[in-house]
Amino acid sequence: MRLIAEPALDTFREECRDWLSDNVPRAKRPHEGLALRDYDLAWQRTQYEGGWAGVSWPAEYGGRGLSVLEQLIWHEEYARAGAPPSASMFVALSHAGPTLIVQGSEAQKQRHLPAILKGEENWCQGFSEPGAGSDLAGLKTRGVIDGDHLVVNGTKIWTSYAQGADWQELLVHTDPERPRHKGISWIICDMRAPGIEIRPITAMSGLTHFAQVFYDDVRIPLTNVVGALHEGWRVAMTTLGFERGTGTIAHQIELANAVERLVERARTTISPQSGLSLIADDAVAAQLAQLRAEVAALRSLTVASVSRGMRETVPGAEGNIVALYFGELSRRVHGAALELLGPDALIRSESHNLPLHYLESFKWAIGGGTSEIRRNAIGERVLGLPRGPRAA
Amino acid sequence: MIVDLEPTEDQVLITESITGLLTDHLPVARFREVHSHGAAAERAIWGDLAGLGLFGLGLPEEKGGIGFGLPEEVLAARVLGMHLASTSVLAQMAAAHVATEAMRDDVTSGAVRAAFAVATLSGAVHRIDGEGATLVVLVAPGSAALVTADIFGDWHALAPMDETVAIHGTALPAAEFDPSPEAQRIALLLAAYQVGIAQAVTDMAVDYAKTREQFGQPIGAFQAIKHMCADMAVRAAAADAQVRYAAVTLGHGGGDGEIAAARLLASNAALENAKANIQIHGGMGFTAECDAHLFLKRAHLLSSLGSSRRAEERQLMADVV
Repeated sequence: MRLIAEPALDTFREECRDWLSDNVPRAKRPHEGLALRDYDLAWQRTQYEGGWAGVSWPAEYGGRGLSVLEQLIWHEEYARAGAPPSASMFVALSHAGPTLIVQGSEAQKQRHLPAILKGEENWCQGFSEPGAGSDLAGLKTRGVIDGDHLVVNGTKIWTSYAQGADWQELLVHTDPERPRHKGISWIICDMRAPGIEIRPITAMSGLTHFAQVFYDDVRIPLTNVVGALHEGWRVAMTTLGFERGTGTIAHQIELANAVERLVERARTTISPQSGLSLIADDAVAAQLAQLRAEVAALRSLTVASVSRGMRETVPGAEGNIVALYFGELSRRVHGAALELLGPDALIRSESHNLPLHYLESFKWAIGGGTSEIRRNAIGERVLGLPRGPRAA
Repeated sequence: MIVDLEPTEDQVLITESITGLLTDHLPVARFREVHSHGAAAERAIWGDLAGLGLFGLGLPEEKGGIGFGLPEEVLAARVLGMHLASTSVLAQMAAAHVATEAMRDDVTSGAVRAAFAVATLSGAVHRIDGEGATLVVLVAPGSAALVTADIFGDWHALAPMDETVAIHGTALPAAEFDPSPEAQRIALLLAAYQVGIAQAVTDMAVDYAKTREQFGQPIGAFQAIKHMCADMAVRAAAADAQVRYAAVTLGHGGGDGEIAAARLLASNAALENAKANIQIHGGMGFTAECDAHLFLKRAHLLSSLGSSRRAEERQLMADVV
């Protein structure tokens, strides 16, 4: 527990800030579809050309090769500058890329890592299935070895940004002799391969960010298996851990900003009944105070998690604590806005789209592991409580 | 500037040495014996606590201290909370920062003892575990003052909800008290103690849930219990991280808002976790034979010691309301 104050890091932070203030795109970001993908790839290319892509990725694959400290500073300044969320690049930058760095073959790293950083390829995830959500090990999509290929049949769901993705990190069952997680492989799937069909799914917010993907005799070279064949569960657990790494700093800062916007609106909105600002009501002030305290704690939990991350290369189950806290708090923050601002808050407008933020906030307590599954993980893997009833 | 919240090697050693002493001499089971109530067990090892350097832990060497800072004191306070050590130990650490130069050495050596006191709504002042104390650290939300015990009238013993502490009352003197610039530090020490309570009851509940069997399996295998334990761990972790962050950044960009957040969340974590621990222990949790009630009672004492939910909320909104 200490302050790390090094002049070199301060200089680095100023460089980040200067570059971001000159280069963050001002053009309005499309909400969805291929336009969004193109926007995100172009912004990634700009970052690469400026020397800011993959701050802590190895230099031999196009990264800057700096420490997690610089990565942390970059994420902080990125969020403060209001730079676009990584969105359609999130899987490439925060899941697939880091997984390849740790588990990929040399050829796989050479093929994909520089291309990700240059904004030449865009990834999606293929983990969940209609019948295997929280119980991910129960997945049914099959990969059968045929010569030097795997032939994949089945379906994946909740695949964000599947439309327009070039590659997919895909979990398939490859060994029917071995039950559940013992027979799973983690493979790199070419989303343009014949036999792939994408059916978009519209969320309750109205956004169409995810899709169901169908695989009909899709042939994938065995050289696209990451880690060893049938060892995909171990690889996937690494990936799920990365999701909770420094990439969440941006989400945390955005949520803190949302609370401050709400405080500002409560201060400037005058109640026609009382003639006073909303915040003059003690109950309102108390509710906002509670949210301020909780976003401060979320920041501190994130900093604690990053501090641990400086010492271990693969994140542990403790990441579920931050993720659970964020998911639950996110829903409360956006829910408070609706409760506080009344009928006005129920109208969608370009400048104040509170309904969109509110409806989207539900996903943080579901996606990547529901709050209930995260509580199980904290109970079993952090606290060491006995596992509940489940199949072998 | 980057905040690193993982303990340094020195900080690990400090935590271990204090934990070692307290595990040997201040096990929570000591409260089964009435004669160890009211800081009696702590007074018996007062010299050992001073010998560890606890009372001058965060005081600069030129002031006769050990030369560490608030982060180290906060870690120590957390261990004190886990063992339900008398709050007078914390008061002694606080007094070392506030004492006059003439008195300072007597505080760090333990020759002179201090205790916390609070003003009440009824115009009285309550002193906690302060028998024989020369100094009183009077705490209120956002402020603290060090006074000598002789400014008060006669103290009379009260019957506290927490029977393991000795609370004495007297009328609050009309005098003006000089506010101490160390109020923020003291608030964080109290918050860290509360985090210790929140963590200790989480450990206690988890241990029980692993061993207590019903319906042929440990109750911790049931999600109703497992999720309560997970929520306890999250509340403790959030408050702990916030206390650490506030301690590291105080004077470096952090301030009253961070500290108010720390106390609000630490009070809540100590109280809610203490209640959950009683619930998880079921019938035993309701008895005086189980230690669970001791943590609940102490959590209530701490949440009213120089703090209140409303006061922390007001501080958190001080820039806008």
